[in-house]
Amino acid sequence: MNTWIESDTGVAEAAGIETSEFDLYVRGEIPACLAGSLIIATSRRHKDRSVFARWHDSQADLLKLDLFPGRPGRVRASFLAVDPDWPDVEPLNAPFYATQPNHGLNCSKDTVWATNLLFGAPLEVDLASWRPRRILRLVGPDRYRPQLTTTSHFAWSLDNRYAYFHQSLLERESDDHPVRSADLKLVELDVVSGSLRTWNILPPAGDACPNGANFHSAFYFEEKGERFVGLLRTGAILETLAPHDRPTEHHVSPMEPSTIWVVRIPEEEDVRVLHALLLPGIRDLQGFALSHLDVDASGGDGFTLFANFKQSDVAEETHGENLYGEKPEDVPEHYAGMIIEAFNCGQVIRYCRRGDAMSLKTFCRAYVPGKTSLGHSWLPINIQLDSTRQRLFCSFSGFRPRLLPRHVARAYKGLVADLNQIRYVPPLLMRFDSARLEPDTDSKRRHLSYAESVAFTVVGNGGSDYVCTFAPDVGLRIYEADDLSTAVGYALSAELMTYGDTHFRPTPAHMQFVAR
Amino acid sequence: MALNRPAVGGPEYLKIVKEASVKVDKLEASNWDFDQVPEIFARKQHADVMAKEAVHLHDGRTMTRVGRLVLGGVGTHFNLMGSVPSDSTFRVATDYTSHVIGEINRQVGKKGLSDLPEYRQIEERLGEAEQVEFSNYGMFPRVKDLVLWLLVHDAGCFPSTLETIVRRFALGNVVQNNMYFTKHPSKDPKKPALMKSPGLLVQFPSKVVEWMEQPIYGGLVDKTIKVEHLLTITPTKISHPYLPLVLESKVRIVDQDYYLRTFSGSSPKEALRGPGVPEERPTKPKK
Repeated sequence: MNTWIESDTGVAEAAGIETSEFDLYVRGEIPACLAGSLIIATSRRHKDRSVFARWHDSQADLLKLDLFPGRPGRVRASFLAVDPDWPDVEPLNAPFYATQPNHGLNCSKDTVWATNLLFGAPLEVDLASWRPRRILRLVGPDRYRPQLTTTSHFAWSLDNRYAYFHQSLLERESDDHPVRSADLKLVELDVVSGSLRTWNILPPAGDACPNGANFHSAFYFEEKGERFVGLLRTGAILETLAPHDRPTEHHVSPMEPSTIWVVRIPEEEDVRVLHALLLPGIRDLQGFALSHLDVDASGGDGFTLFANFKQSDVAEETHGENLYGEKPEDVPEHYAGMIIEAFNCGQVIRYCRRGDAMSLKTFCRAYVPGKTSLGHSWLPINIQLDSTRQRLFCSFSGFRPRLLPRHVARAYKGLVADLNQIRYVPPLLMRFDSARLEPDTDSKRRHLSYAESVAFTVVGNGGSDYVCTFAPDVGLRIYEADDLSTAVGYALSAELMTYGDTHFRPTPAHMQFVAR
Repeated sequence: MALNRPAVGGPEYLKIVKEASVKVDKLEASNWDFDQVPEIFARKQHADVMAKEAVHLHDGRTMTRVGRLVLGGVGTHFNLMGSVPSDSTFRVATDYTSHVIGEINRQVGKKGLSDLPEYRQIEERLGEAEQVEFSNYGMFPRVKDLVLWLLVHDAGCFPSTLETIVRRFALGNVVQNNMYFTKHPSKDPKKPALMKSPGLLVQFPSKVVEWMEQPIYGGLVDKTIKVEHLLTITPTKISHPYLPLVLESKVRIVDQDYYLRTFSGSSPKEALRGPGVPEERPTKPKK
């Protein structure tokens, strides 16, 4: 099946789409407040683990789970694959696709904007028809700057009318420099009219290096009557724009500690350039790969930001010998080109700026096998406040020590965990007290869930909240937010796990809920 | 897991159960933090599922799994645990379980695991697997029941392994447990005893095909060699999440025709660690 996707710059682009639908098998119940859809950006990997494909470039399979409450209720799955044939057409141009939305999800009540985790432009998808509508490309690629980068997770105005994200071109590497960003823009999307507005961004003094000027997430706040957008400068440094011809060890340019840029949204129509400022105190944390966030900007007088540092070189991927000197073919869990492991435990931060007061709290914790009720902070992924904003839920991917490539770890000498002591760290979903940024410890261990899928979303109305988690191999799980030790219901199907007989769908990073 | 105390009789048994119960209560009161009851840490981790051949039969309403496992272990006595939906029926060594895998292979002209070079290498290295029997089947509905059993039998466990099992309890699954022993015990982790299980059958209601969870690392091998047959009464495109498709055919089993899709290869175990890195241990007290 073919469709035309209208692009905002240049000509409309042809893209194939592929769809499939089926029911999941539900055990337990689907609570009434979950009437709606869960949107998940899944992707594909070849079952042959030696086939190298960069994780950024994995074919996106957008998944919509329509939830119908009841005991057991019903869950209907609809996959939407956009441009499913691209790797076979022009392999040499593989990184230069217009959109490959296998990571981020930004939703209004009737539309989804799905994003790659670094490359390309957002894809706008109509939720009701579950068909792509257009690509939001606001900068024009050329021969020297053939790809672009976009914020994966948008900022939202307090009334959810406007979404904000960064977009810029990516200039090819040269002998003098790695890949660098150019023509940095802030984009405002009016989700009601669909109109777009852009401004050029002037980097802040002292953080103007275009290497690693990429921003995985953004947030919006108001202060003293003015509107602002904060951009989490993740700082992924790509040595090359194209994926490797051969996945061998190579020089890794280490990331710089992450920062947050803040730009003021002008009321004036004629302002074309926004001068970014650094949010004080973030660089001092010396954390790497500041990536995901949730924000409480209610009240319009400042914000409380929750965000996480991954301590992982997110521009790299798994290939080559691991830190123990094992070859990939001797490591069964290895597959070439997959998400990079962290080199040490990450951290979650709580940055509060209200009125004239500012405070900063951090949570960084190693995994201690004998004290598992304390949780850990290895490779934080999702972070979300509940509907009361009193509890914060965070997922952590954990650690698979044999998947950390030696050539990546070398770039962070002195910062890497002791690989002779560190073991497997299981994935974790944990509830925090949002005011203290400490685990919301419960004597019956209802505050955490190990071996849990990292993709989750919290759905609630202030009275009762539910936490939904998802991975293709274990399906959808639903918990009461108060009790992560007992599932309310779960739903699964083997059809979620694979594409054809050649590919499987690995654990996705994110999911979003849209009420019906 | 290897069982260091497979059986005890008389009043001594009561004493062991009492002591184990105190430890479980203390562990539960300590939010299941092993450091509060360090005796619960298993001492060594030397028992694994080395290979398996399984049939997954789905008739649209019921999932039936039949499996034969090849097990490796250091020691004499072991247990095998797996989580299943709480409305499952579990059977061991019935006429059907003994028949179905062999019948599929006979009809398609295959030899199951023996067709895989990786499996043949194991038998060449460790000798032909010894047929063992399973005994003392049990179902644990709660984590504390499971931990009590492990303490009574001086097996212990590891925190990350227990957390994985806790998650399965959280879904309403139960843990099914069997004991078995070898007549040719080994003390060498590089040359464990190789054992072949009887046919196991698990059956539970489900409208969809459900694959099994990945096995957890048991200290011996980092992957499981597998042959998995999917049988359905209507044609299907369902694929295995990790194994390549190697055969499509039709077979007839006990007067019923089935579409067959066979997948084989190996898949990694969960919770692997680096070479030479020891098992999870209690936190050392600070000096």
